[in-house]
Amino acid sequence: MLNSFVFGRRSTLNISFALGLSVIVVFGILPAVAVLVISFTDVRALPYLPVDWVGIENYLSFFSAAHLGYNVNALWNTLVFAFAVTIFQNVIALLLAVLLNQRLRGRTFYRAVVFLPTILGVTVIGLIWSLVFNPSAGPAATVWSWVGANSAFFGDPGMALGLVIFVQIWAGLGIAVVIYLAGLQAISPDLYEISGVDGATAWQKLRWITYPLLAPSITANMLLCIVGSLQSYQLIYVLTGPNNPATQVLSLAIFTSGFGGSSSGGAVQSQGYAAAISMVQFVMVTVISITVLVYLRKREQVL
Amino acid sequence: MTAQLTRPLEGALRGSGGAPAGRRRRPVSLGTVVQYLPVAVIMLVYLFPLAFLLNTALKSNAEFFANPVGIAHTFAFGNFPTAWEKGNFGAYMLNSVLYTLVAAFLGTVCSLLLGFPVSRGYLRHTRLWYGLFVAMLFLPNTLVTQFQLLLRLNLYDTQLGYILIMAAGVGVGPLLVSGYVKSIPRELDEAAALDGVGYWRFVFLFLPPMIKPVLTTVFLLQAIGVWNDIILPTILLPDQAKFPATLGLFAFQGTYSSEWSLLAAATIIVAGPLLVAYVFLQRYLVASVVGSAVKG
Repeated sequence: MLNSFVFGRRSTLNISFALGLSVIVVFGILPAVAVLVISFTDVRALPYLPVDWVGIENYLSFFSAAHLGYNVNALWNTLVFAFAVTIFQNVIALLLAVLLNQRLRGRTFYRAVVFLPTILGVTVIGLIWSLVFNPSAGPAATVWSWVGANSAFFGDPGMALGLVIFVQIWAGLGIAVVIYLAGLQAISPDLYEISGVDGATAWQKLRWITYPLLAPSITANMLLCIVGSLQSYQLIYVLTGPNNPATQVLSLAIFTSGFGGSSSGGAVQSQGYAAAISMVQFVMVTVISITVLVYLRKREQVL
Repeated sequence: MTAQLTRPLEGALRGSGGAPAGRRRRPVSLGTVVQYLPVAVIMLVYLFPLAFLLNTALKSNAEFFANPVGIAHTFAFGNFPTAWEKGNFGAYMLNSVLYTLVAAFLGTVCSLLLGFPVSRGYLRHTRLWYGLFVAMLFLPNTLVTQFQLLLRLNLYDTQLGYILIMAAGVGVGPLLVSGYVKSIPRELDEAAALDGVGYWRFVFLFLPPMIKPVLTTVFLLQAIGVWNDIILPTILLPDQAKFPATLGLFAFQGTYSSEWSLLAAATIIVAGPLLVAYVFLQRYLVASVVGSAVKG
C-alpha cells in the first residue's frame, strides 16, 4: 500500500532513498549477487587479465580428488566449530544469565566483564590467549608441567581446534548472556510468586517457567550463534593463521584460495574458485539455519 | 534502557524471593555458594588473562624469559614507549577511529534514509523493500567480489573504498529503524509538513532526536563490526600506512613474535583506550545488542 506523501514533491524522497540504496546495493548487495556469477568464471586478482566463462568447472574442482580431502577437512572443522560453539556458548550463557538474574552482589560488574571481549577486538583477544597458551613459557604450560605434560597448544593439531573453540566462546559469551538476561527480565514475576505459593522448587521453576518462556530468546540466540559461527574466521585467522589444517574452516578456505593467505602469491590464482567455495558455504549456512529455525519454532509452540 | 530493564528485574527478585528468602538469610548457605562459585570461576577465566597481560607488559624481556609466570618486579614501564614508537600505533588507532566513525555514520544514515520511508509506506512496493532488508542479513561471503569491485573502481588500497565497503554492511540497521519509527506517530510528519518543513529537513533534523535510541543502537552495532574487522583490511588495504589497529597489532605480532613483554605492552596500548571508552559506553552497548537480537 502507498500512503500519501505529506512533504510535497516526491523528488526529495526519491533522491535520498536512491542515495542510501545505491551505497548498499553497489558495495553490499551487488558483490553478494556477483559471487554466484563469478563462481562460473576464472577471474583473477589482476584487473586487466581476460575473464573467461568456465561453467561449473570451479564446482567440479571443489569436489575433485585433488581438493576433496582439503575441502572435506575444512567443511568438517566448520561444522565441529559451529556445533561446539553454539551448544557450549548457549548452555553456559543461559546458566550464567539465570545466575546473574538473581540478587547477586556486583551483578552489573560481572555482566560488564563478560561482555568486555566484544569491544577488545580479535587481535587483542588473540594476543592475550596466545600469551596464556604460550607453549614455552605461558601459565597454561606451567599448569601442564605440574602433571609432567607439555603441549604446543595452538601448534598442537589435536588441540588447536578445541582451543580456538574455547577462545571463540570466551569472546562471544557476553552477547549471548545479555540477550538471555533481557529475555529473563521480560518474564512476569507473578508467575514465580504463584508457583512459589504452590510449593514449586527452584528447579521446577527453572524447568517449567523460565525454560519455556525463554524459548524465543533461545531461538534468537541459537540462530545468531549458528549463522555467526558457520561463517566466522577472524579469530581463527589471528590465533592459528589462514592455512592451518587443524583449524581450517570454509571461510578461511575462501580467503586462502582467493588471496593466497600469507604464504603463496595470490595474484595469479583464480578467484572464481574462491567464489565457488563461498556459494557452497552459503548453501550450507542457508540449509542449516532454516532447518534449525523451523525446529526451534516448532519446539516453541510445543512448550 | 538499563533503567527500564532493572525495574521489572527488581520486581522479579522480590517476587521470587518468597520461598528461598529464609534459606538465604543464613550467613553462608549452600545456596550462596552454589550461586557465587560459578560466577567466581567465570570471573577468573575472564580477568586472569587480562591481569597476566598487564603483568607481562611490566616485565623486562630478560625477566620474562627468566621467570615468565611470576609476578613482575622490574616494572619495566619502558615497554610502553618502546612499543608505541616501534609499532606506530598512534597512526593505526587514528585509522581505526576514522574507519569506525565514518563507516558507522554512513551506514546509520543509509539505514535512516531507507528504513524511515519504507516504514511510513511513502514508497511503492513496501513488501519488496522489507524483503530486501531481510535478505541483507543472509548474504554469502563476499571477500572476492568486494575485492574485485574496488579493484575495478580504482578504489583498491584507498581508505574511501574500504570505508564504503564497511558502510554498506548495515545488517539489521534498516529493519531496526523501520521497526522503531512505527512508534513515532505519523501526525508529527503531517504537522511538520504543514509548518512548511521539507522532507530532508524533517529526516535529518527533526526525526533523529525522536529516534535517538535506535540510531545509537544501529551506529554502535556497525561500529563494533568495523572496529573488530581484520580480514577485509588485510585484503583491501595492503598499504601499511592505512592499517587499522587490529591489523597493525597483528603485523607487530608477526615482527616481534618472541618479545612477549613488548607484545603485551602493545596489546595494552591498543586495548587501553577501548577499556576507558567501555566504562562509559557499556550501558549503551549492552542495550544495543539486546535491542537488535530481540528484533532480529
